[in-house]
Amino acid sequence: MNMSRTPRVPPEVMARKVGDEIVILDLSSGNYFGLNPVGARIWELINEGHSLEHVCEALLAEYDVSREVMESDLARLMEELMDRGLLAEG
Amino acid sequence: MIGAGTGELPASFLQHDPRPQAGIAEPPFQIWTTPTGAVWTLFYRQASGYLVRFPALADFGISVDGIQIHGWAAPGISSATLQHLYLNQVLPLALSRQGKLVVHGSAVAVSANALAFIGASGKGKSTLAASFAISGTRFLSDDGLQLEWVNGELTAIPSHPSIRLWEDSREALVNDSNDVAPALEFTSKARLLAGTGLAYCRDARPLGRIYILGPGAAARPVIALAKPSTALTELLRNSFLLDIDVQDMLAQHFDTLSRIASLPIHYHLDFPRRYDVLAQVRTAIIHHSREPAA
Repeated sequence: MNMSRTPRVPPEVMARKVGDEIVILDLSSGNYFGLNPVGARIWELINEGHSLEHVCEALLAEYDVSREVMESDLARLMEELMDRGLLAEG
Repeated sequence: MIGAGTGELPASFLQHDPRPQAGIAEPPFQIWTTPTGAVWTLFYRQASGYLVRFPALADFGISVDGIQIHGWAAPGISSATLQHLYLNQVLPLALSRQGKLVVHGSAVAVSANALAFIGASGKGKSTLAASFAISGTRFLSDDGLQLEWVNGELTAIPSHPSIRLWEDSREALVNDSNDVAPALEFTSKARLLAGTGLAYCRDARPLGRIYILGPGAAARPVIALAKPSTALTELLRNSFLLDIDVQDMLAQHFDTLSRIASLPIHYHLDFPRRYDVLAQVRTAIIHHSREPAA
């Protein structure tokens, strides 16, 4: 995964934090998607305009997990959100 | 014109003489199908608003603002069927076009509050509401539950005073003292009218709990706190929305549901779908609703 990328949230996608999780709604399709607390934190960092490299470093500082696992999980989530059209390339 | 609400009329409905369902050149923008895959409802955009078609049953025209509704039964279809489709399918959609929130949910009045039961068709919303109503706990709605913020309080609004039940539920729950509306062409569900045997609440009530109905896998009544994100996705899944392509309305709808999902009132409720445990289920719900919110 290219960690220098900075994904962006498309204008037709909105998200709301409820509790410690986030639900994302694609206004163009009406489809929605839920993120657990870690996914929600990733979404917040991306929404603030950070690169994946910055997101990964921030998460490594916040969670007790290896860089290898974090990068793998981050890559998987990015792929899913991109495939669903909930994130776009910056 | 007939109105569906018990207070001020939420929309006007003009019932016309039956007419054949003419072909429509433009493709529908949305199609609803039954669990067996049959086409149930077709949605078309027209210059004057929307045309909602129930094939071989009825056409409805809804104004862009959702306030004016016209209905035409197909030839040979009864007025009762037209009005039933209006109350249970078309009016909730029209209200959503007015920016109101309507969910697939039944509701009953316990103490000063309303308790709502949400879930897809077949999850037991109506049976549960009928069970309460027959035992003397008044119901506000058997489906198409309208929710409104009133003075900062989420409030359940009563809908039409009837409950639809499948034949097995009707046989298990209902006795001769219940009034039953005329049979309809498209369903074997009976419509029970509120009356002496079916207690109805015509007053809006603050919403105390929303119970998300489970699949019926539990061996006994089980109530567990639902996460706000689960509440939000369930509310999204169980909302009436006429036109999801109107993005500003969908965004407003999402905001409203997010606010509701953040309230500490959402619980999962599951219980075995057996009539002999309904009394136990009612007791568990009433007891739970009187506990402090999570």
